[in-house]
Amino acid sequence: MLALIYFIILAVIALGAAVCVFLSRHPLYGALSLVTSMVALAGIYGLIGSPFLGVVQIMVYAGAIMMLVTFVIMVLNGARDSKTPMFDKVSFFVIPAVLVLAGLVGFALVGAPLAFDETALRGSVALTSRTLFDVAQTGPGYFMLFEVLGLLLLSAMVAAVLLAKKRLGSVQSENTEEGH
Amino acid sequence: MELQPIYIQILALAIFALGLMTAISRRNLFFVLMGVELALNAVNLSFIGFSKTLPADMSVTGQIVPLFSIAVAAAEACVGFAMVILLFRKKESVDSDNYSNMKG
Repeated sequence: MLALIYFIILAVIALGAAVCVFLSRHPLYGALSLVTSMVALAGIYGLIGSPFLGVVQIMVYAGAIMMLVTFVIMVLNGARDSKTPMFDKVSFFVIPAVLVLAGLVGFALVGAPLAFDETALRGSVALTSRTLFDVAQTGPGYFMLFEVLGLLLLSAMVAAVLLAKKRLGSVQSENTEEGH
Repeated sequence: MELQPIYIQILALAIFALGLMTAISRRNLFFVLMGVELALNAVNLSFIGFSKTLPADMSVTGQIVPLFSIAVAAAEACVGFAMVILLFRKKESVDSDNYSNMKG
C-alpha cells in the first residue's frame, strides 16, 4: 500500500515534468523539467528494487547528460530566436497518431497477465557488479560489452571534440591568432 | 491495492509517447534531442519493470541492460549536442526547418 502511494507521487512528478518538456517554450525550462523527470524516475527504480540503477540514473542522466544540455543551451543562448513557432504543422497528424499508437499498446498491455515475482533479485551494487564483471567462461559475458562501451564512449568524445572545435584557418580562428 | 507491474508499464508508455511527440513535433533542435532522451528513459523504466516479473536468475538481465542503454544514451547526447553546436554556428538558428536542405 505504501509502495503504491510512493509510486503514485513519483509517477505524477515524472509525468508532469514530461508534459512540461513537451509544452515549455524556453529550452532551459525544458532541460530543468527533464532533470526533474529523471530524478523521479530514479526514485521509481529504487522503489521497485534496483537501487544501483537509480544511482546510475542520477549520476549519468541527471548529472552528466543534463549538465551537458544546460551548458550547451547557455553557451549558444538558444533563446535568441523566440519567434519560431513551437510546433510544426505536421504535428496535427503526429500527435493523434502517437496517441492512438499509445492507446493500442496500452490496450494490449492491460490484457497481458503480469505479476511481480517474489523471487526476483534486488539489483544491489554487489549483485550488479558480480554479474557485470563475471569473467568466468560459463558466465554471461557482460564484461566484453562493458569494454566495447568504453570504446564507444571514447570515440563519441573524440567525435564531439572534432565536430565542435573551430575550423583551423577560418576567419574567427585567424582573428584570435594574429600573433602567429 | 498493491503496486502492480502494469502501472509501471503504463507510466513508461505515457512517458515514451510524450518523448516521441516532443521529438517529432517540436521545431527547436534542443527539444528534439530532449525528446529522444525522454523516450530512452521510458524504455529503461520498462526494462526494469519487466525484469521484476521474472524469477530469480532471469531477473538480473533486465537490470544490467539499462546500464548499457544509459551509456549509449550518454554517447548519443555527446555527439548530438556537438552537432547542434556545429549547426548553430553555421546559421545562427535552432529551428529545424532551416536545416532541411537534404530533403531533396
